[in-house]
Amino acid sequence: MANVETALKETLATIDGAIGAALVDYGSGMALGTIGGGKDLDLTVAAAGNTDVVRAKVRTMDMLGLKDEIEDILITLGTQYHLIRLMKSRDSQGFFLYLALDRGRANLAMARHQLQKIEAELEI
Amino acid sequence: MTPAQAGGLTAVAISPLLTRLAAERATGALLRDRGTLFLEDGRIVHAESPATPGLDVLLTTGGGLAPERWREAVDRAGARRQVARFLVDSGGLAGGELEICHLAAIFDAAFFALSPGTGPSRFRRGATHWIGSVRSVPAAAVERETRRRRELLDAVWPYPLLDTSPVIPRAAAPGQTVTARQRTLLARADGVRTPADLAWVLGRPAFHTLLDVRRLAAAGLVETPHAPVLAPVETPLPDWITQTQSPDVALLRRLRDALEASL
Repeated sequence: MANVETALKETLATIDGAIGAALVDYGSGMALGTIGGGKDLDLTVAAAGNTDVVRAKVRTMDMLGLKDEIEDILITLGTQYHLIRLMKSRDSQGFFLYLALDRGRANLAMARHQLQKIEAELEI
Repeated sequence: MTPAQAGGLTAVAISPLLTRLAAERATGALLRDRGTLFLEDGRIVHAESPATPGLDVLLTTGGGLAPERWREAVDRAGARRQVARFLVDSGGLAGGELEICHLAAIFDAAFFALSPGTGPSRFRRGATHWIGSVRSVPAAAVERETRRRRELLDAVWPYPLLDTSPVIPRAAAPGQTVTARQRTLLARADGVRTPADLAWVLGRPAFHTLLDVRRLAAAGLVETPHAPVLAPVETPLPDWITQTQSPDVALLRRLRDALEASL
């Protein structure tokens, strides 16, 4: 059992290359908690914008008739990875974890695995 | 309201009283027409509004908490003002889940409590809420988010009348997709329920429902109500206006002279 603040701190401390992280309310596009970021990465703006990313993907899956759930979404930039992990048990209410990683320092497989662990801790 | 007017309004402080109470690090309840904000040392620790489902509905209807667990917590810990802690300690709810839902509920209720045009605000110093302490958020963050939400609604589909009118679904266009989340909402829109009623039925925060309904209306899946246009009142003008004749210049001159003479 963890609270939002410790979960976000753990995200930044344990995941190599983590630049910033946010817990986002999908229904409103609001960040319920943020850590890291800074002037180069406004996490509240990222939270609202990435809500649109998730919504677009959900709509696309409906158009394709895919009866499946999104576990995570990866966006690869030149210098960063952005990872969006949808929290499961809250289905229609919808919250997601958003993680920005420095591409040069991050291990993507490890980061996905650790983010999954942090998500599980938040919910149990 | 035109976008220009909306932009002008948002520049105004959301609530000068709230700003002052936050600066004073006040503790108590800020009561407004459409809701109440609870402050502790100037930070917002809880909010509720009759316009949106409370934490109980979000956790039971919208979440997985059994209603009996909630009632038990209120009965046994309400008097001590530690309902939140009781829910977590008794194993009814994970700490993280409670915190996330509570934060969502604060911002949701605050959006309605701080809505413009509501009457005078009162502050009851020292008042606390029985939910107990969960998390607190700075008043400035709540004001900023409230402003962002107002702008977001208008950016999506600028028809505020949708927020209070019954939601009337429309048939999807051929080939148009409706997502599972939208279908859940549309299935409960019976042409009578307003977005707030739907929020209660779905166990979702009311702002989320307003936003969903505006998006559905923008996509043509919900009727957009239009303000009844007031028919221009046709008052027949008297004949002496409509049947104009050329002014009697000579008469007007005599009148002016007479007035000047009496000065």
